[in-house]
Amino acid sequence: MDPTFKSPGPPAGSSSSRTTLPPLPKLEMLNPSHRFLRPAKRINEGPDVSQFLTSKAYRDIGIWILQLNHALVPRSIQKSTAAGAPTTTTSTPETKDEHKTEPSEPPKDALAAKLQSLRKKKDEQSKEEIKTFPLPKGGEAKEEEPESIQKLQRLLKKMEAIIDEAPPDPGPRRFGNVSFRTWYKILEQRADGLLREYLPGGVLRWEQEKLNKGEGEEEDGTETETEGDGDGDNKANEQKQEVVGALEELKAYFLGGFGSAQRLDYGTGHELSFIMFLGGLWKMGGFEGEENDEDGEVERRIVLGVVEPYLRVIRRLILTYTLEPAGSHGVWGLDDHSFVPYIFGSAQYTRPISSPNEPTPLEGSVPNAPKPGDITKPTAVERYRTENMYFSAIGFINDVKKGPFWEHSPILFDVSGIKDGWGKINKGMIKMFNAEVLSKFPVVQHFPFGSLFQWEQDPEAGIPAQSVHMQNQPVASAASAAVTGSVETPTERPSGTAAHWAQTRAPGVAGGDGLGTTAPWAQKPLGTGGVPGTAAPWDEAPTRAPGAGAGMAPPMTAAPWARPTGAGAGAGVGPSAANRFTPYKPSGGPGGAPNTGPPPPESFQSGTPGTASNQFAVTKAPWAK
Amino acid sequence: MSDLDRAIAQLRACRPIPESDVRELCHKAREILIEEGNVVTVNAPVTICGDIHGQFHDLMELFRVGGDPPDTNYLFMGDFVDRGFYSLETFLLLLCLKVRYPDRMTLIRGNHESRQITTVYGFYDECYRKYGSANVWRYCCDVFDYLALGAIVLGASNTISPSAGESSIPTTPEGDEVEIEVCNAQGEVMSRFPRPTKGTNNDLQSRTNGIPPPSNTGPPGSGASGSSRGTVGNPAGAVLCVHGGLSPLIDKVDKIRLLDRKQEVPHEGAMCDLLWSDPDEIDGWGLSPRGAGFLFGADIVKVFNHRNDLSLIARAHQLVMEGFKEMFDASIVTVWSAPNYCYRCGNVAALLELSEDDSGWGVLARSNGDVNRSDGGGGGLGDSDPQPMKGPARRYRVFQAAPQDSRGMPAKKPVADYFL
Repeated sequence: MDPTFKSPGPPAGSSSSRTTLPPLPKLEMLNPSHRFLRPAKRINEGPDVSQFLTSKAYRDIGIWILQLNHALVPRSIQKSTAAGAPTTTTSTPETKDEHKTEPSEPPKDALAAKLQSLRKKKDEQSKEEIKTFPLPKGGEAKEEEPESIQKLQRLLKKMEAIIDEAPPDPGPRRFGNVSFRTWYKILEQRADGLLREYLPGGVLRWEQEKLNKGEGEEEDGTETETEGDGDGDNKANEQKQEVVGALEELKAYFLGGFGSAQRLDYGTGHELSFIMFLGGLWKMGGFEGEENDEDGEVERRIVLGVVEPYLRVIRRLILTYTLEPAGSHGVWGLDDHSFVPYIFGSAQYTRPISSPNEPTPLEGSVPNAPKPGDITKPTAVERYRTENMYFSAIGFINDVKKGPFWEHSPILFDVSGIKDGWGKINKGMIKMFNAEVLSKFPVVQHFPFGSLFQWEQDPEAGIPAQSVHMQNQPVASAASAAVTGSVETPTERPSGTAAHWAQTRAPGVAGGDGLGTTAPWAQKPLGTGGVPGTAAPWDEAPTRAPGAGAGMAPPMTAAPWARPTGAGAGAGVGPSAANRFTPYKPSGGPGGAPNTGPPPPESFQSGTPGTASNQFAVTKAPWAK
Repeated sequence: MSDLDRAIAQLRACRPIPESDVRELCHKAREILIEEGNVVTVNAPVTICGDIHGQFHDLMELFRVGGDPPDTNYLFMGDFVDRGFYSLETFLLLLCLKVRYPDRMTLIRGNHESRQITTVYGFYDECYRKYGSANVWRYCCDVFDYLALGAIVLGASNTISPSAGESSIPTTPEGDEVEIEVCNAQGEVMSRFPRPTKGTNNDLQSRTNGIPPPSNTGPPGSGASGSSRGTVGNPAGAVLCVHGGLSPLIDKVDKIRLLDRKQEVPHEGAMCDLLWSDPDEIDGWGLSPRGAGFLFGADIVKVFNHRNDLSLIARAHQLVMEGFKEMFDASIVTVWSAPNYCYRCGNVAALLELSEDDSGWGVLARSNGDVNRSDGGGGGLGDSDPQPMKGPARRYRVFQAAPQDSRGMPAKKPVADYFL
């Protein structure tokens, strides 16, 4: 059975009413009187994640990812010349029904089956044209790209060029090359200018408006309170946030997208930040044609023309500065650094849809797509990596890893055995993204919240974490409870909240095996301080961090080198660190005073081997902030 | 467990043993480990290994290079699991060997031998995938709680013993005593470093700068009174083995002995620090970028070693491209035993061999005029001589990742959880 043409029930079932399908949700544009805020860190402890999962920001992330994803799904376009198919509305259900009958009449022998299917394919090709959306050839900026895309491509080129200004430190061979700090510092210094130069005009207009009307306000240092829904939980987290210019708010997501200079690492949290930087541009009307974008053309250009080039810059940074995978799970993670190419890449090969409002198929592949199993064949990967983001990501893995693929990338290997086509893979990737990226404290903790992506509760979100019950629960199970509230049904319209895009968490991790309540260690206090939440195996986000963690500044809001430290990767022994150090001041420890002043500034410039900066895939405490 | 040898054979072939056998094995292992102190005493000769991280085939390579257990006395400094594909087979094999040869196999706890860390970094997922339930993961975690926190190696020689196949005691061309020897996987000597001679050695001098003579002496690491220099079998000073490093809460090895270790690794405190800390080029203590444990500088190590009559701290926990790295005038060494870590780092791995002092355990150390040898109980050199102890001679065997052929292919692709 060729999975390619497997016809999933839902779209066929809903196809009769297809003409009346409401448009899929898209990220809302800002209201003209919008006020921008300096984004602030809100996810400070494990339980904050469950609040995040019912926030407006989370809703917007979901809408944006799905919006981009949907745009990449191949389209089947009915040829008007095809006999008996004057409109798409009548012919498509027909072809669908044909597919549907396939399994019901098993052919007598294999040859006949093949002939039959070939004939059918030929038949279909005469009626419909399938449009796929491969990566542009050569990855070069194309003349016909809109101005906004071209500008962003030039921005990425500029950033890549900074690598030449910050060549990797030739000192003792190390991972996490300290010159990445130079690269990042240059980027930070130039960020304002770069954004001003390369952001689409529609975005700069916001900045202009601020100058016109908001200048005085800002000089007074006016602060505004984030609008809260008034419930107690929210209040506790309310902070006064400074009103800033549009670029200032956007910049946080932009700079957050290029790894941590402090830790010399890069991971899916950074990737998320860049994707939402693009989402912010969308909200500000930064892309031409957004308003009347009917079939995802603008979104496609964003993914193929900006996201993939972004990933290429990231891969070059990883190779140049040997950036660690942030919080690597070793072979047990999907990928050391990335996630979105697996979502968008699988969408590129999903079964075609025939109406812009048809939901993303949950199974099936576009004809002529490589088989999912081809990812394990190096020759196939070489062939497809230039046209498809999934294969592009696999190609990078093959570039950097030595050893059997099934051993160093078992999750991707397992996925390659999926029989229901790329649509099924796409659906699974989105679910996995929700669970492994958005629901993980170590990953989302650095995501900042402002006016574009708001911390306040989404009134339409699924049942929020029931406060009493959830407070002492592992945070991840709270997330799971929030998302299991609604069961995904294929005909259900995506609503942009948790429910539709992830109805369950990983069965292997939080499946209904009852571990949560019966685990013998659930009641065991974790060491000192009665840290709650050691309990279940999916609890990797305890509510309290140790004293040491409390001192680590969030890398996005403060320049790591602003602190008078310098040893290793942010080893704080300076005066400022000393204050934060107090919760765990060694009493009567050897060597007397623990804070002996800042180390010589050259201590990481010259690079001493065998130090913490010499690490690859160093284990970070999952509870560390 | 009468089937122990069969389990060992099966695991050596990289095939997991049935769940019921795991349960029995873990039960047995706990009975043995519960009898061990927080700091296990190990007599040289011993081969010290660092992180393995589920790189089973590379562990087999390690055994090939270092000698098979029980012929070789092994000390593994933790981080058996997580990240690699074969954490389960790796840990169970080491545990089987521990149960089978308890005196020839020492396992101490790494920061990854923890429930919370293994749920994040892979071992939980691996167990679930290989057994379809979390039971085996639970059995293993229960064993983790009983692993010792450190080890003290006694009786190490300060001269290099001949390698297998070598007939004469190696010397440098000048006839100096060899302090460090580096061999490749074939046992060929790649380089030798003579022990610096007195007077010309600034490093050795600097070791003692500003450090007062020991205020108490006794069995190494014990803090007890008496002349530690006279302790039998300790001519070269004791070697402390711990996964991560030091803690600001631990100034004496004895304080480690007082901890209640039979628990999940806490987020802070002495036990956490021992498993999480890293040496760094700083003065004193610093915050760790890991978010647990601390960074500690050369001064901390030197004071600690002096106070505890240690000549060396051996630890793991950090990748080093060359497989091993000595720091702070050879007062601390990092040993890393996972080659081409995570399939991509391109690093080599190493193991550290400490040979047995010729005088043997319980026999007076030979006296050849070197300072800081055993004083034979007579206190001849005593505390009036603040010379540092001469560290043990160290042979590092460096090896690369095992060849990748003959690993076969998995029979089927399990359905990934999110894709059902």
